[in-house]
Amino acid sequence: MSVPGPAASFEAASSEVVDLRALQADTDIGSPIAELDRDLVGLAPVKQRIREIAAFLLVARARERVGLAAGPPTLHMAFTGNPGTGKTTVALRMAGILHRLGYVRKGHLVSVTRDDLVGQYIGHTAPKTKEILKRAMGGVLFIDEAYYLHRPENEKDYGQEAIEILLQVMENQREDLVVILAGYRERMASFFASNPGFRSRIAHHIDFPDYDASELLSIAELLAAQSEYRLSPAAREVMIDYITRRQQQPNFSNARSIRNALDRARLRQAMRLCAGNAVATREALQTIEAEDIRASRVFAT
Amino acid sequence: MHVTQGTFSFLPDLTDRQISDQIEYCLRQEWAVSVEFTDDVHPRNTYWEMWGIPMFDLRDAAGVMAEVRACREANPNVYVRVTAFDSTRGWETVRLSFLVQRPANEPGFRLDRLEAEGRTIRYSVHPYAADQPAGRRYKPEQANTAPGDRR
Amino acid sequence: MANSNVTKVRDAKQRYKSGVIPYATMGYWEPDYQIKNTDILAMFRVTPQEGVDPIEAAAAVAGESSTATWTVVWTDRLTACEIYRAKAYRVEAVPNTGPGTRTEAQYFAYIAYDIDLFEPGSIANLTASIIGNVFGFKAVKALRLEDMHIPVAYLKTFQGPATGIVVERERLDKFGRPLLGATTKPKLGLSGRNYGRVVYEALKGGLDFVKDDENINSQPFMHWRDRFLYCMEAVNKAQAATGEVKGHYLNVTAGTMEEMYERAEFAKQLGSVIVMIDLVIGYTAIQSMAKWARKNDMILHLHRAGNSTYSRQKSHGMNFRVICKWMRMAGVDHIHAGTVVGKLEGDPLMVKGFYDTLRSTDTQVSLQNGLFFPQDWASLNKVMPVASGGIHAGQMHQLLDYLGEDVVLQFGGGTIGHPMGIQAGATANRVALEAMVLARNEGRDIRNEGPEILRDAAAWCKPLRAALDTWGEITFNYTSTDTSDFTPTAVAV
Repeated sequence: MSVPGPAASFEAASSEVVDLRALQADTDIGSPIAELDRDLVGLAPVKQRIREIAAFLLVARARERVGLAAGPPTLHMAFTGNPGTGKTTVALRMAGILHRLGYVRKGHLVSVTRDDLVGQYIGHTAPKTKEILKRAMGGVLFIDEAYYLHRPENEKDYGQEAIEILLQVMENQREDLVVILAGYRERMASFFASNPGFRSRIAHHIDFPDYDASELLSIAELLAAQSEYRLSPAAREVMIDYITRRQQQPNFSNARSIRNALDRARLRQAMRLCAGNAVATREALQTIEAEDIRASRVFAT
Repeated sequence: MHVTQGTFSFLPDLTDRQISDQIEYCLRQEWAVSVEFTDDVHPRNTYWEMWGIPMFDLRDAAGVMAEVRACREANPNVYVRVTAFDSTRGWETVRLSFLVQRPANEPGFRLDRLEAEGRTIRYSVHPYAADQPAGRRYKPEQANTAPGDRR
Repeated sequence: MANSNVTKVRDAKQRYKSGVIPYATMGYWEPDYQIKNTDILAMFRVTPQEGVDPIEAAAAVAGESSTATWTVVWTDRLTACEIYRAKAYRVEAVPNTGPGTRTEAQYFAYIAYDIDLFEPGSIANLTASIIGNVFGFKAVKALRLEDMHIPVAYLKTFQGPATGIVVERERLDKFGRPLLGATTKPKLGLSGRNYGRVVYEALKGGLDFVKDDENINSQPFMHWRDRFLYCMEAVNKAQAATGEVKGHYLNVTAGTMEEMYERAEFAKQLGSVIVMIDLVIGYTAIQSMAKWARKNDMILHLHRAGNSTYSRQKSHGMNFRVICKWMRMAGVDHIHAGTVVGKLEGDPLMVKGFYDTLRSTDTQVSLQNGLFFPQDWASLNKVMPVASGGIHAGQMHQLLDYLGEDVVLQFGGGTIGHPMGIQAGATANRVALEAMVLARNEGRDIRNEGPEILRDAAAWCKPLRAALDTWGEITFNYTSTDTSDFTPTAVAV
């Protein structure tokens, strides 16, 4: 009912010819991809992979209609990359795309980590994992830092139980949900190496590269604009400097670090305004100045 | 005999597809859905056994259907129902409840009459199956001629 | 409004001089009155006598329904009379009345009453003022009580429905669909033994309830004990035959409270889940029976016998929605409130207003549905409306669409008059109902696809096919007399 399957015009087409343009229009698959292009800075290889996957799924729909080998395609995915490279955001968009193409019925995203799936004592894990799976049915289950499910150092770890339940559902209920496993590139690689069951059930691997400095600056400006702030020309210059320094530091987490830096800059801006004149112009209220960024600890070293 | 408890018991046994559609309806109303089973179908037996607690915050019927199937598998040839709970103020009660499995053979109920003074009669409804201890009331091997088309 | 320059006489000497002065100047008209949230509000439709100013007529209604008498009395000054005077605070012309229309000028008069004018927990006391002497008052040609607002403070002095929709469903173990009932026919003349036969057949066939009619009490052809005994045999046999909880509304209406209590006690002793009373027993008797029902775990059904003598005509009497309010306060669990599609009076918009009044926890103003005031129901239980009179299985989609699922649908003739017998008639109704609820929940458009859904069910259910063949085309398309004064903003299609 609520599944927006291919529209009637498409159904009525001849069994030998499929109008792919019409199918694209009917599923309105273009708009989430366009949104992805517009809203997300950089990530060119990721966007390219998503366009490929969307095209593949669209063609799978078309093949199904003309009676070519079908069966629900495996859609489970792995998103690898460093923190703050947009994995969760893209997962959310992916859920929307899969929903428009009719591969998931509801299109919501349930985002979890090990603690949501694995219990503390015997008999605790299976109900927890099943509960999460039931909530994710009809949508996408996003497991961040999925390798924590597997703790080879501890034989009696309950994570294994969660893994087995996940694998079973990923295999048997492919039409009910899509699982996306996410985490650092290298750790995911070793996780897949020791859990071949997962590797074989993942159809699409997408790697999220780190943002370069100019992309991070665009992100900073975009984030500021989204909450109706802007960087003054001087602040922009300081931000460029900030980004270069921050990238060298440990625990750099791409867009997330930029978001945090902006949040702190907003606090400093507020302090500066309160300490200054009794009145503030609209202009002043929305402008981040160089000093608001310059005060960061990043510049102390 | 055909027990007619539950919302849709005058219709042919629901298919899994139909059951799933009703669960989808419940989820759209933001009701919590649970699965319950019993081998004591007395009309006043309110508390059937719970197959887990009611499922909250689900978006799709597939999760409930998995529990329905698991409950049937573990409890063949007894009564299984799906019950939906509404937590809205002014309701806070069951809003829909329907059977999703019934035994192949339903022996029904005996009506006992105890004659009292002034032509008064004290009535008691007694399920024939209740003569057996719990768990032995409906023989698992008799069933499951799959009710309806379980797609 | 005309004459808005009428003002209260504020000088005490002038105000209390012996003689007759207009009500409006006595203090019963206060256009600037600030309504207190403990005030009881009433809205009357006033048709003034020729030459009587509408504001004076409204003030007179306020006066006569509270403290006034026809002339000035000095004893007013021994009281805090300013508080006890009801205040007409708004008067407006009724749309489509007056010059240039076919109806003489009518006015909606809004009146506020202080809560201390009324005894806590007494419908009798409330109504003695609101619909007491005032309805015979000469200055108005006709008067109709259209709506009331009862403040939470006053509502909390009433028990409210003995059982309510939620607990009724829990006790009956029936959820998610309208309940089904029928009234035994012929309503008069059957012996107890024959009467019980109808009850058994209908319940076994699939109904949840069978009902005594309003005028079946204890007559020469069937004394009440006989009826109770045979009906309960039928109810229990049907429970054993189906595994479902069943009920028969045993009418305990009688000449005195003592007799009513005796009958109700006997019904309880026999294990009945429900008893019934008629509106004509009076408000106090209804409240007493509601207390009895709460105390004895009994559902209380009210048949609205008599209401049309004062609720049907648009210009005089009272609107049924006010009866609904009073009955929810008085504490009944069921009340007949219209069918929309059946043989009895009931405009769809008006019926919606009645149903909302009975079932919602917080009613909003809806002029087109005749709800002139918001009403917070202060957690009083909900009343289950009953739809009866000339309805049949072929209308199931309309009934479900108009009335929703918290309603008892009573198919008397539509069950007992079935060509294949009473059980088949009951089965036809139950199958039609369940098929329709199933389809609605599946997201189908029952209003338009209803007939097709019924035909599909009739393909495997012979009793339903016979019912559709017999009554499928029967409709009652008469114009209602009690209709909305306001044009619906969104037209239902």
